[in-house]
Formats: sequence, structure tokens, C-alpha cells
Amino acid sequence: MAARADDGVFDPQGVEWTRVSPRLATVRRIGSAVGHLVMLVPAVVLALVLDRTWILLLWLPFGVMLVVAQVLIGRQVAAIGYAEREDDLLVREGLLFRTLVVVPYGRMQYVDVSAGPVDRRFGIATVQLHTASAGTDATIPGLPPADAERLRDRLASRGEARLAGL
Amino acid sequence: MSADPGDPAEPARSHEPAAPTTRPAEPGGRQPLDGAAGPRVPEPGAEPEPGAEPEPGAEPEPAPEADGTWQRMHPVTPLVRGWAALAVLLFFVVQQRGESFVAGEGPGGADAGAGPLGRVQLLVSLGLIGGGVLVVAAWAYVSWRVTRYRVGEEVVELRTGVLNRQHRRVRLDRLQAVDVVQPLVARLTGLSELKLEVAGGSGSDVSLAYLRSGEAQRLRRTLLARAAGVGVDEAGEAPEAPEREVLQVPVDRLLLSMARSAWPVVGLVVVVALVVVVVVTGEPGIALALVPGLFGVVAGVWGAFARGFGFRIAASADGLRLRHGLTETRAQTVPPGRVQAVRLRQPLLWRGPDWWSMQMDVAGYAGGGSDDAGKETVLLPVGTRAEAVEVLSLLLPDPGCEDPAGVLAAGLAGTGREHGWVDAPRSARWLDPVAWRRLGYRVTGTALLARRGRLVRQLDVVPHERTQSLGLEQGPLQRRLGLATVVAHTTPGPVTPRAEHLAAADAADLLAEQAARARAARRSAGPELWMTSLARSAVQDPAAATGAHEPGGTAGGPAAGAPAARVVAGEPTTTREEDVSPPVSREEPRWREDAP
Repeated sequence: MAARADDGVFDPQGVEWTRVSPRLATVRRIGSAVGHLVMLVPAVVLALVLDRTWILLLWLPFGVMLVVAQVLIGRQVAAIGYAEREDDLLVREGLLFRTLVVVPYGRMQYVDVSAGPVDRRFGIATVQLHTASAGTDATIPGLPPADAERLRDRLASRGEARLAGL
Repeated sequence: MSADPGDPAEPARSHEPAAPTTRPAEPGGRQPLDGAAGPRVPEPGAEPEPGAEPEPGAEPEPAPEADGTWQRMHPVTPLVRGWAALAVLLFFVVQQRGESFVAGEGPGGADAGAGPLGRVQLLVSLGLIGGGVLVVAAWAYVSWRVTRYRVGEEVVELRTGVLNRQHRRVRLDRLQAVDVVQPLVARLTGLSELKLEVAGGSGSDVSLAYLRSGEAQRLRRTLLARAAGVGVDEAGEAPEAPEREVLQVPVDRLLLSMARSAWPVVGLVVVVALVVVVVVTGEPGIALALVPGLFGVVAGVWGAFARGFGFRIAASADGLRLRHGLTETRAQTVPPGRVQAVRLRQPLLWRGPDWWSMQMDVAGYAGGGSDDAGKETVLLPVGTRAEAVEVLSLLLPDPGCEDPAGVLAAGLAGTGREHGWVDAPRSARWLDPVAWRRLGYRVTGTALLARRGRLVRQLDVVPHERTQSLGLEQGPLQRRLGLATVVAHTTPGPVTPRAEHLAAADAADLLAEQAARARAARRSAGPELWMTSLARSAVQDPAAATGAHEPGGTAGGPAAGAPAARVVAGEPTTTREEDVSPPVSREEPRWREDAP
């Protein structure tokens, strides 16, 4: 039933999950590395100004977090998946805190496709579905732009076909 | 009349000087050009008493044509909106005058000495104030001039803004609710604000402020009729849908309910803290620091009282009508099927008299301004269980299950698996040690019910066709305990239905089943123009349509007419394909315990 034994709840029967591009992991790793390395700058500056090399050790927690994040990001990205069923779209994500969102096509209000500069460099984009509810968090990151646009158009046309009022 | 160049609405107005000359030729004759050319709202000053209905025939009739004409708000609007600023200005003027008066008298006959300088000062200050008043008045006038609205067959348009112009067009079939709001000053002057709520996030509503109260009511009827898909007559007049009063919240019960709420506890805590601090430190000055807290409590209590004062609920063909308010009154009309979710709530101290409060999600309400937060989404401030059940059955006439009273009772106060409820497993006690026995859900043919809370009991009800999307959540602890939470996403509002800490298998079942049910319910959901089916049925069965207007019917006669009509219209939205039952005795609230 499931790839992993404890995965049953988040793996409804008969659902073929589509994984997102592993390039998303690269992008996220870069982002995480930049974020953590920025914290190194004040440490280096302080160490140079005060001439105390041990100040660099203050960055160590960030370094540990960076290593952990680099390892985890791969698994996190692998956990992201989506599936287009006949009437609704399923999106799941998360390792520790898992979520699965079921969005009926007829409930979609609009679809966003977005891509930041790094995303574009690595050739991925994010598709986000919006319903009338603020609670709907159906975001599919890490799709190749062509796939993202195809998905968007497909979702939009399906949404139109099954459109329902609020 | 109008000086705005290049305004698309102006061509119609340019004929206006000719209109008065043609009009006397056909007194009372309602020519189509008349409404298109004549101003709906008279010129400022031409209307001496607000609230007076125009004489038939004497006035160009106030009905919008099919395409409508651009109309302005009532000329007093700037004063009603800006009365606070005006009061402050007056206060300063009076203060200034008083001070100069005292200063002039003080030296005793020194008027000649201080005269020239004092007079110059006085003149300068008066000039400044006068200039300020002029500027503000000019701005208010221009702002009033450019604010215009137009009511069409399918849309309402509103133009606002002096520098940043805005032209908003709202489709009537997207109307979520219509409110008539009267702040205190507007009440004194006989004016009302008409708010058209549409789903679209914050600031998406169309506010027509201020209109004469009669005009606001007439417009409300017309808009609701058009939004419902019912034709209005040539004059744009729609008859008031007959309504049946469902309940009133007595003032004493409101006060008692507040006495049994958290407010006295909060107040007591603040006072005790005050006394303790003063006694310990021996410095009464420190008490001043707690004064803001006390103010907060007083403001909160007053707000809750003023909002719930005179709360009345009535059912009519065009929806649920809520009226409430002490200083600022609010009359809300929520059409059938526009309530997205309902929460029933019972704080600990309300358990004795078995009182319940109700809140609702309506797509237009939550996005409104923050000053309206909490005012619009109250469905029932406090009511007996029977009243709450009756309101619920108005919103969801078909419970879609056997023994609805039992299901509801189990949802309101019960635990365990009685009446088809699915509760949380024992392992949930680690995550919710107090209330885990109460956690649970029940899926009926028409709605999802989720209960929780042991001290403060809660029951959320979401019709299947109103669910936007579904979520399944599982944190690390839940995963270890084999639990998961199912969330039904509804439009923004106070009700966030969650079925917490279910057994993983139950959660998976609920998710799959709920997705299927919501799909089926959406397919059979009624049209956006909710009265079109009713209008058809009324044509086929005239007796049903006229029955509601019969005077002197039995107590059930006119009263039953409205809900019956509502149910006919709402039927497709509340039944599923597989369990369509004949529409018999639907007007009887079937959630009720004493129902057959």
C-alpha cells in the first residue's frame, strides 16, 4: 500500500504520487547555506576587530544547523508530492509535521505560478492553488517551468469544468 | 448639475435641464427617459426633511432603470462621517474663545491696552480655523460629489475617491450578504449605511454610506430580489419578503450570560491585582498603571453588551435576518446557502441554564474592516438549546441522518461513539488530557459535525457543499501515537472546523469519504440565483406563492410560508443525489428534539 510502512494515512489507495524535481533540493540547500553563512560575517568581523579567534566558535551552532539542514533538505524535498485525481488535486509534504491537502478543482479560485531568480537559474517554478479559504495551503514547489505551466493550464481548465459557487 | 468633465455618466445628465419642462406635461407618467435623466437623489438643500418618502408622481420616481443611473449619497453624509472631527474643532473654538474671554477680563478694564494685540491674535486664530473649516468642507463636498453608485440589473457600481479614483463593480450573483448599519449619529439623522458583502478579502465590500433609511431598505429589497434571480417590477420595486420571527434575546438573559462569562473573572483579577499591588507597595500611584487594563475590561463588557442588545433573528425567503445593536444598530440579511460554517459554543458557566452561543462563517464578513470584527459573525449571542437548534435547522434544514436530535445531543455534550459519532482513541489523552473524550466527528448526509472541548464545549457544523478543501495533519507526537487531525477549510471567519487527534485509520476514512461527499454535494448544489427554482415552482403552484401573503392565516400559515419557500429553493443544496427524499414537512426543524 505504501512505500514506507508508517505512511498509510498520507498515502491513500490508488494514488500515484508525482515527485518534484530534485533541483528544488539544490535551490533550498543554497538558500539554507547562504542564510547560515551570513551569520558568519559578524563573527569574522568581530574576530578580526577584537583579534580574538575564539569568537568564530560562536558560529558553531549555525554550522551544525547548516549541516543538519543540508541532510534533511533532500528528504524533505523527496517527501513533497502531488497527485491529480479525477476531481481533486492532492498535495502532501513534510517529514516531521506532515500535511496532506485535498483541493477539489471546482473550488479553485486562482492558480499562481512563481519563480525567484535562483529558481529560474535552476529551472524550477512553484505552483500554488488558492481557494476561497485562507486555510488551503496547496503549494507545489520545484516543478520545471514547462510542467508548471502545463499543470496550471490543466488545473484552470478542470476548475472551469467543475466550477461551483462558494 | 455636474461639472465633472469626461464622465461617462454625464451624457445622460446633460439632458437634465430639458427634463423638468417635459415632466409637467405628463404628470405621473412614468416615461422611461424620466428615470434615466432625472436625478435620484435630490440636490442638497432641495430635501428639507430626511426620511420623508417622495410623493408619488410629484417626484421623479426613485426607481433605478435596467441600466440604472448614477446617484449620490445623502448630502448630509460628510457631516455624519466627520461629526467627530467637527466636534473636536468646535471644542477648540469654544476653548479658545473662553480663554481669550477670560484673558480679556482678567486685567480689569485693560481691554484698551491688550485690545489691538488680542484682537489681531483672535482674528488670526479665527482666520486659521475658518480656513481649515473651509478646506475640510471643500474636501468633504468634493468627496461627496465624486462618490456615486449605480444599481443595474446584474451589477452594482460604486465610484469613490478624489485623488485616487476607484470604480468598483460587483456582480449581484456574487452577493454574500447585505447589511444595513446605523451608527448612532446616523440613527439620529435618519440615515443608514448599506453594505454589500462579497467574498474577496479585506475591503471587498461595497459600502453605500449614507442613504436615507427608507431608501436603504428599498435598495436592500431590490438587490436581494435581483441577487436571488427574482424579477422586480418596472419601478424596481421588490416586495418585502414576508418574515417569521424566530427568536429574540431578552436583555436580562444577555446580562446574565455576560455575568456567567469570563468577563467578571477578568475584572476580578484586575481589581485584586490592583488592591494587592497598592497594599504591598503602599503607593496608590502604581494603581494608575492598571487603569488601562480596567478600561479594556469595561470596553470589552460594554462592546459585548451593545452588540448583543436587542438581538433578533427572523427567517424569510431572502435569507436569515439578524438585527442587533444598542447604539449602532445592524440589520444583516444572509441569503440561504451563504453561511459557510456554524459553531455552537457553551462556556462552563452556561451549562446550568444550558445556554449556547453561535458564530458563523460568511464569505463576505471576515474580510471586512477590523472595526467590524466580531460584530458581523455572531449568529446568536446567547440562546437556549432549543433556540440554537432551531437556528441551526434554519441554516441546514436537512440533517441528513437518522435521529438528528440524538446526533446533535451527542455533538453538543456527549462523548464516545453513540449516534454514529467517531471519537478519538485513548492515546489522544496524551495530547489533550482534559477533553480527549469529547473529540470526535460525525458525517451525516448533508454536513460534517466536529465536536471538542470539555470545559468550553464546541460543535462545528459544515455543510458538505461548503467545504473548500480538506487537510490532513500529523505531527511527530501524533505519528508516534497513531493519530492524525482532519481539517475542513472554510472561508475565513471565526469557525475553523477541525477533527483533532483521530485514529489514523479513522482520519484517512474521513478524508476519503468527505472528499467524495463534498464532491457529490457540489454537483447537486443549487444555482447561485437561489430563488430561480422557487420562482419556477411558484409559477407552477400559485397557491404556494400567495399563501405566504395571506393575512389572518393560522399561526403556521404565513410563518410556514417563508421557510417552505426557502427550503424549496435550498433543496438542491441540501440533498445528495442518493438520498433525495420528497420535500415533505421540511419547514419543521428536524434537528429539534420534539420533532416527529
